[in-house]
Amino acid sequence: MNLETFKYDNRIVRAFTIATVIWGLVGFSAGLLIACQLFWPELNFNLQYTTFGRLRPLHTNAVIFAFVGNGMFMGIYYSLQRLCKARMFSDFLSWLNFWGWQAIIVSAAVTLPLGLTTSKEYAELEWPIDIAIAVVWVAFTVNLLGTILRRREKHIYVAIWFYIATAITVAVLHIVNSLAVPDSAFKSYSIYAGVQDALVQWWYGHNAVAFFLTTPYLGLMYYFLPKAADRPVFSYRLSIIHFWGLIFIYIWAGPHHLLYTALPDWAQSLGVVFSIMLIAPSWGGMLNGLLTLRGAWDKVRQDPMLKFMVVALTAYGMATLEGPMLAIKSVNSLSHYTDWTVAHVHTGALGWNGFFTFSMLYWLIPRLYQTRLWSIKLANWHFWIALLGMMFYAVPMYWAGVTQGLMWKQFTPEAFLQYPNFLETVLQLIPMYRLRAIGGTLYIIGAFVMAYNLWKTARSGVFQPEQEVQAAPVAKKTGSEPGKNPWGHRWLEGKPLLFTTLTLVAILIGGAVEIIPMYLIKSNVPTITSVQPYTPLEVLGRDIYIREGCVGCHSQMIRPFRSETERYGEYSKAGEFIYDHPFLWGSKRSGPDLQREGGKYPDAWHYNHMDDPRLTSPGSIMPRYSWLLTQKLDTNALPARIAALRKVGVPYPAGFEKGAAQKSLSTQASQVVANLKQGSVTNAPADTEIIALIAYLQRLGTDIKAMPASPAPAPKTAALNTVGETNN
Amino acid sequence: MIQNVLRDIGGIGLYGVISVCLFFLVFSVAVIRACLLKKSFVTAMSVLPLDDGQPVDRQKGVAHHE
Repeated sequence: MNLETFKYDNRIVRAFTIATVIWGLVGFSAGLLIACQLFWPELNFNLQYTTFGRLRPLHTNAVIFAFVGNGMFMGIYYSLQRLCKARMFSDFLSWLNFWGWQAIIVSAAVTLPLGLTTSKEYAELEWPIDIAIAVVWVAFTVNLLGTILRRREKHIYVAIWFYIATAITVAVLHIVNSLAVPDSAFKSYSIYAGVQDALVQWWYGHNAVAFFLTTPYLGLMYYFLPKAADRPVFSYRLSIIHFWGLIFIYIWAGPHHLLYTALPDWAQSLGVVFSIMLIAPSWGGMLNGLLTLRGAWDKVRQDPMLKFMVVALTAYGMATLEGPMLAIKSVNSLSHYTDWTVAHVHTGALGWNGFFTFSMLYWLIPRLYQTRLWSIKLANWHFWIALLGMMFYAVPMYWAGVTQGLMWKQFTPEAFLQYPNFLETVLQLIPMYRLRAIGGTLYIIGAFVMAYNLWKTARSGVFQPEQEVQAAPVAKKTGSEPGKNPWGHRWLEGKPLLFTTLTLVAILIGGAVEIIPMYLIKSNVPTITSVQPYTPLEVLGRDIYIREGCVGCHSQMIRPFRSETERYGEYSKAGEFIYDHPFLWGSKRSGPDLQREGGKYPDAWHYNHMDDPRLTSPGSIMPRYSWLLTQKLDTNALPARIAALRKVGVPYPAGFEKGAAQKSLSTQASQVVANLKQGSVTNAPADTEIIALIAYLQRLGTDIKAMPASPAPAPKTAALNTVGETNN
Repeated sequence: MIQNVLRDIGGIGLYGVISVCLFFLVFSVAVIRACLLKKSFVTAMSVLPLDDGQPVDRQKGVAHHE
């Protein structure tokens, strides 16, 4: 047999392992800091760059894209070369992928604390970074497909299918969800508004979980689990069904993040049905993994890598059973906006992604350095402390979630809300938040122990930058083999580009069926006459709301439950959000919903509340925003923002930004200052950020209120009034 | 709420039915194709991760992981 000699590139794998460990420690630590801020609000050190609102996206991005992202690349770059019997297609693209990805992470770590954010969950990075992500992702995809095309193995193993699905789908999700019109170097407005933006965002958000946190790791499971157990996967047939079932169903399930919201009912129903069906392929995959260990459970007792793997698969099974349960509307009515969701995602993140990544690291580092793990005892110690940490995280958060949901819905026998003050329901959770922080601390201690163990392992061995091997090239095609079905799955596995196209079609069907009708029927959406675009001052106030990450704790979506309408007011209508670029419905309530906040309190209340929330709400866990009282409002940005909003569809009159907008802004700011004086706040300059934020908060939800009177009436310009009429 | 927005969309109820039918079609095809695979092929594919390629002889001293 004619053998070809070639070398696997281990340098790129090592680079990603180092990045995985470092970013993991950073991401976990950021999570612990913000977890502590929920019972110790002063922990932002009264700095605007370290508030919960700004650091929460930093934590989620660091864990998802930095820790799991680098872990995914680490595993793929190692396994792909060996499954294809080929070196990576291009070393240049490999290193472009590595350094580009690290640069993106650093950019995120700088811009998010600065408040440069789109506010769309897991897609917070602004447009220049979005473009960089697309470029780096294309480099990765070309490298992936190029390697597959140059393979010396005739058939494509199932792990690689999962890699292909990941590469294609993440590209589609990222591009579609990130479409925006920039108004400056680091600020843009989503081209979608309100309910459409919400659907696109959660189509993205859900599938970021599916195709960034799940499918690549399932592929890695199909490679690393057989390696570690030294036995083939339990059922290769089941893996085929697992793959097609999973990628086809996953893409439809996004609307389950928007149950009981203003999203159309048919889209919600589709989300529910497909979410429940997801149990089948998810559990098929999990059982395929666990059953691979049939007859090898003795190894699990001895090998810490397998221990981590088994817990990872178990956590995957729990999270993928719980996810569909949470997608049932009656369950969701209790769980949504509570810490139950936080517990759910952390079962997946800490258990599935975290433990699986630790498992890969313990397996890879000794092999890259041609040695044994420095201390199995320490690895076992890491396993138990991380498991304990996960328990201490998850159990209190489940308890907190259910407590929160029940308290929100509790009525007295006289049919009044039992806990009308939202703060009561928050203070009830403080002990659980403390326990959660203990769990997070244990998990982080374990991660530091792992880093030390891996560092000592590397020090004790010799790094093998390239592994030289031999393999036979793929035989030239000599026509279809006799007796074989030329169109069967075997044939398909030999056609990577066709396979890629079919995968793309599978994921596009779900997205298209759900999203396109939302646009086709746009002209039929009856807008609400009184709903008008935000005034210039409110636009700037809304941008401050976005900058500070208020959406991380406050929803703007009142569900049609009596418990919510009693507490907040009229339930939210889709027509109210047609000028919301982006939507700010939120996904968690650590504070109350703000959809009907306008007119609820006087302007002076908001002023004092932002200065120190504990002045107006004793015991509040909200951080102080005292810098808003002194920082000057950036009115120079107004013309570009009005113009950008017009481009995305907000009907500001032509030329509005050339004078009229500034005049409107000054008039409304003076009105807010006058209102503040009535409330004994006499020293508030009209050109500070707090004025714009108050204007925005006082506008929230007022457009459809039956009673027009409010403590802080938002003056509308004549130009804006005509806008409303044109939309009837 | 949907009634406020989309009451005039014709046949919207069919969306769910069509979607589920599509899924069962894809799922059925995947199951049938998986079942029709030859045992020898399935066995060969399932052991692929265990084969990293043949180590080169001149690399004496280099550990072979499998």
